[in-house]
Amino acid sequence: MKVDVQSLGTFNQLAHEGAQAATDAMAQMTGIDTHVNVTRITLMERAQLGEQLAGMSLVGIQFNFEGGLTGETVLVFEREKSAAIAEALLGEGASEEMAQSSIEEIGNIMMSGFIDGWAEFLETSIEHDPPTYVEGEGEAILPEPPTDTERNQVFVFRSEIQWDGEDVSFYIYMLPEYEPLTALMAEHSGASEDAIPVEKLAAFNEMTREGARQAAGNVEMMTGIETEAEISQISFAPIEDIPKQFSDEVYVGTVVEFVGAPSGFLLVLFDEQSAITVAEALMPVEMDSEELTDQHKAAIEELGNIMTSGFVDGWANVLQQSVEHTPPRVVHDMGRAVIDPLAAQLGQFQQHAFLIDSKMMTEELEFACEITALPNEQELREALEQLDLDRTTETQADVEDIFGA
Amino acid sequence: MADVLIADDSEFMRNLLREILEEDHNIVGEVENGVEAVEVFKEQQPDLVMMDIVMPIRDGIEATNEIKTEHPEANVIMCTSVGQEEKMKEAVKAGADGYITKPFQKPSVIEAIQDVVPT
Repeated sequence: MKVDVQSLGTFNQLAHEGAQAATDAMAQMTGIDTHVNVTRITLMERAQLGEQLAGMSLVGIQFNFEGGLTGETVLVFEREKSAAIAEALLGEGASEEMAQSSIEEIGNIMMSGFIDGWAEFLETSIEHDPPTYVEGEGEAILPEPPTDTERNQVFVFRSEIQWDGEDVSFYIYMLPEYEPLTALMAEHSGASEDAIPVEKLAAFNEMTREGARQAAGNVEMMTGIETEAEISQISFAPIEDIPKQFSDEVYVGTVVEFVGAPSGFLLVLFDEQSAITVAEALMPVEMDSEELTDQHKAAIEELGNIMTSGFVDGWANVLQQSVEHTPPRVVHDMGRAVIDPLAAQLGQFQQHAFLIDSKMMTEELEFACEITALPNEQELREALEQLDLDRTTETQADVEDIFGA
Repeated sequence: MADVLIADDSEFMRNLLREILEEDHNIVGEVENGVEAVEVFKEQQPDLVMMDIVMPIRDGIEATNEIKTEHPEANVIMCTSVGQEEKMKEAVKAGADGYITKPFQKPSVIEAIQDVVPT
């Protein structure tokens, strides 16, 4: 089964327009102005679904759909903000039961519009169950992804909807069954030279996870802080939406440009406090500083360099090619400001981008770190073409073997 | 006690290597790119070069190639974060005598040096 960039782009656009139709419906009913901030298609391990929702108390509505496309979809609001939506519909003083009913109904209308858009585009019918009101903490609010005994990765469509003028987001998740979705993508594929076998994309994702584990191991060896790679996923979105996927939070880290199979950019980013914590764990002398100093940055520069290698070396070894990278450039800025020029540079050559991201953290939350790769889309496709699925575990090179030969 | 030249663009890593090595060896220079590595090698003729690969201006493999072409007796250990098989083969081709992957522990550095420059 193959997908191509055109079909991924079409499906992303479809999800984005569906989410926009849903938000328009809400605006019409409540007067609350919203816009769809970003829509991305992500291939991820099912166990990692919904990590963006961690720490949030949520309510929403969920339903199953089947027909031309089969799966589940859910619309979630932060619990606290759902009251504002209910109030916009019912006025002040409505009972809790009535508020829940109003959320159910608005969710039903929004998500029906979302699914109908898919059915119309696919020129098929998609039936859905009556909505179910759901509530929960973090990712627990999401339904189990469709069962699939053959693979542990799922495609997830996720739209983030921003309430204009408020620091509030809603999320639409669509979790289609793998086989019907990839069959539809194949039907809507364009030029054959763009095609990517889905199995290779999934294998690449697994290689990336291994790269993240290696990078986490490097951090642990250097700092002595037990570190785990928590998330690894590959997403697809229009290039202009890539910066929107980064927050306005200030980060400290490194950017390198890598050249090979494929080329692109790789960022290792820590929030400021994490950067200080990690840098001090690296230093032979105790600093105990609350401010980020040049010494901290020098330590982060080298750590970023080593983590970058840990991340991309596995690709190079599996593909039996070299991936060169520039010396790291230290960055200290808002996430969006860091990624914006890189996306602009790639945007000269491509309309969409694959975003490979991994997160790592420690059990006792000493620090968190994000590794993001933004490869040249065409070169990633070429690399995947060359990927030998029988070699995907060959991520490590044997120094003694090579130097002893 | 061997005379050692450290070539690494990271000040942090140069400091770390110096701390590991200065107890048993004589650090004759610290440089931050391949051009400087070749220059200082020619001036100092150290027993050993600890050479990073990814450095600005000129990388460590090119610098190693020049040093080993002109001074086949020179000892060069690549000390790098790069763990790619193709790069290791390039390092062998350039004449490198050893290869340490960052991050490293002190014993692995000592052992690699002992293999190349026995005391």
